[in-house]
Amino acid sequence: MPRIENEIWTRIKEGDSAAFAELYDGFASAMFSLSLQILNDRWEAEEVIQDVFSYLWRKPDSYSPSKGKFSSWLLVITRNRSIDRYRSRKRRLDRGQSDEVLNQKEDFSQTDGAEEATLNDERKQLRVAFRLLPPDQRQVLELSYFKGFNHKEISEKLGLSLGTVKSRIRLGVEKLRNSLSTLRL
Amino acid sequence: MDNLKQTALDYTLGVLPKEDSLLFEALLEHDDEAKTSLVTAQEDCANLSLIAEPASLGNEVRSRVMEYTKPRINLDPILESREIETLRENFSAFSHRYQGGGGSVDLNDLGSIALRDDIRRNYESLIELFPLVAGDSHAARGDFTLLHKFLRKQSSYSETIERNLSHDLIGENPASRSVLRSALATMPSLSFFSDRLSEDDPTLSDTRRLFYLCRDQLKIMRASFRDIDPARLEDDEKLRLHGAGLLQTKWWGAEHAYFSSSGKVRCGNFFDGPVTERCVEFAEYDANVYCLANLLSPRSSDGEFHLELLKDTVPGCTLALATAKMDLTNHQNLEAILSGSSKMKKGDSLDQHLWTLIEDSMTRGHQCSNLGELRERRAYGCTRIENYTYLWFAWPAIANAQDGADASTPKPLQ
Repeated sequence: MPRIENEIWTRIKEGDSAAFAELYDGFASAMFSLSLQILNDRWEAEEVIQDVFSYLWRKPDSYSPSKGKFSSWLLVITRNRSIDRYRSRKRRLDRGQSDEVLNQKEDFSQTDGAEEATLNDERKQLRVAFRLLPPDQRQVLELSYFKGFNHKEISEKLGLSLGTVKSRIRLGVEKLRNSLSTLRL
Repeated sequence: MDNLKQTALDYTLGVLPKEDSLLFEALLEHDDEAKTSLVTAQEDCANLSLIAEPASLGNEVRSRVMEYTKPRINLDPILESREIETLRENFSAFSHRYQGGGGSVDLNDLGSIALRDDIRRNYESLIELFPLVAGDSHAARGDFTLLHKFLRKQSSYSETIERNLSHDLIGENPASRSVLRSALATMPSLSFFSDRLSEDDPTLSDTRRLFYLCRDQLKIMRASFRDIDPARLEDDEKLRLHGAGLLQTKWWGAEHAYFSSSGKVRCGNFFDGPVTERCVEFAEYDANVYCLANLLSPRSSDGEFHLELLKDTVPGCTLALATAKMDLTNHQNLEAILSGSSKMKKGDSLDQHLWTLIEDSMTRGHQCSNLGELRERRAYGCTRIENYTYLWFAWPAIANAQDGADASTPKPLQ
């Protein structure tokens, strides 16, 4: 798969719009799911996807194969841009500034019901593996990866030492990696 | 090696202190173990990413994204024209930039109590509508029940516009201009999409469009009537850079409507960076861009128009440029409207108000009350080159501003 990914990237660098479409069709959904999970706002998550693809089309050289897999790089960028927005929104609220959306959130707890059936095997297994992590590792990973908390913030929130926070994150990702040794994108 | 792995993971998560990030980046230049650790950390993070609840993207997003690959319109004819050359020669930066809010009046400045009440009711209705079309709403998840219920229980927003405009509005009067800005910049499009959404086959893309329009309209109203919502206005008046990206994301590949006529927006030459310094300034800038779009969109001969935002082509300012392919008759009609000539057709007076609103804003942005002088300097204008009509306005740029984003997460790997 990495070979195919690199081929797509090479074609995008050459301005091949079909390769760009191929990339979108292959990865946009995973990128969007990630961004939506972080932001819980469909329009903002769509904007992140638009931003990332625009950035890639304008500056394809910002990626290089030495940086690892193309798909991993895309997901990390998507995650970091989503966290940027999440933090920016949080800062505004922390400063007591009004935000029509956040101040008047609808109360909904229902989940999007259509997706489970469409999960591919890899993602399904990843989610199972994540659920099987010890709760303390899962909680730290969620705060760190999906909420953008830094180690200090997590240690204060959960009353843990910095070292414990770091080791729980590291152990969590290692367990996920090991459980997926046969599964790659 | 364990330390290196931890550093790579922290770097990927964006939680490594800046100095340590720089050291790690230096290490990456020559250390294979560091590179391997980074690749592993990225893959670990990618694994975590795939845990997210799957959600589907609509085709409309795909079509917006694919717009990036389309060739950009060639703006050389207008940028090398005598008009823009004149702007270049005459534009000079200000020591104190205008930061918006100058077009604001009190609701009490409106003579008619009925008009005052109408405006307040409209604002309150939009405040109620806003969460129903937000990105975390039921409608954004494809469940339109609540949105339908809200839209169907009230009359169309087009009736609000009609009622607002039925009052005796004198164009020269600041209070009348605030009413016109509130009724004509965003509302025609807002009423178009809310009407369409209240029908039986609502779409996510219309919901998204209505979200942006509603947000913009609320800000335009607060910037127009300072006492309509003082608490939120206080927030709007705080210094906070607003980037061109905000305009890009909402206009890029969008459908734009002016009353019953709708057209496709194409963009391509948006710069990266801030445009305004406060929300109230952005609301004014935004209203100007809507006015350009409203003037151009219904007259386009192929149903499309281009919106471009350029910096550095005229040093010291940002240039909002709208262009469309237009037949000569429509162009002449537009010129008649902009010059207020007697050749205007019946019904063109609303469009003339759109231009007046831009002119009004130009006097504030360029700190010059002499419209004749601003026209001479080509601070704003209209011209035709070959089959294209171009409308533009220049806005003083923010000096020394590098970034339009209010964000601080380090961006490793980019």
